[in-house]
Amino acid sequence: MSIREIFALICFLIAIIFGLGGIIGLFRFRDPYSRLHAGSLCGTTCALSTFFGLLLLSSSIGMATRIVVIIVFFLISAPTGSSIVGRFIWESNDTEQTKKKKEQVL
Amino acid sequence: MLVVMQWFLLFAAFACIIRLLLGATVSDRLVALNVLAGVSLALLVLWGVKQERVLYLDVALVYDIFGFIGLLAITRFLKDRPSEGEDL
Repeated sequence: MSIREIFALICFLIAIIFGLGGIIGLFRFRDPYSRLHAGSLCGTTCALSTFFGLLLLSSSIGMATRIVVIIVFFLISAPTGSSIVGRFIWESNDTEQTKKKKEQVL
Repeated sequence: MLVVMQWFLLFAAFACIIRLLLGATVSDRLVALNVLAGVSLALLVLWGVKQERVLYLDVALVYDIFGFIGLLAITRFLKDRPSEGEDL
């Protein structure tokens, strides 16, 4: 187990912990907002630490640069996607909690 | 190590698909779709590194771009449609 593999193992363990937390949150929460939080937590953090682990395990330079490009673009697209879904939930006021929240805010 | 990670990501993807099918409201489904995009991207990159094929990484990048644009299109389409009951 070289140094790189040990660090990759740590990254994978982080990914598994956050992934499990996100999945459990995705099923247990009832409010779409908290599901969005748990879901995007799992989707973004778990994927990101997997990418870092894979970056350490990548064999050639070409592969490493491609993974860095994927990480950069993933960091741009995933949170933006989550905020867009959040805005959609807020505007489409599906649940009664959303209406209550809107009265509080407006 | 990579195999364990691969099975875990597959489990996460199935959990998202189940959440997608179960989701009562449209917003739950969108949340599950957003997570599914991230998890399947991680799976694609993992398979690319596991089999040392650089082609998978290019596919993953294009998949991420189109997944994001697809999500934009879906939310834009669903926003104009009056959801059940109230008209927007």
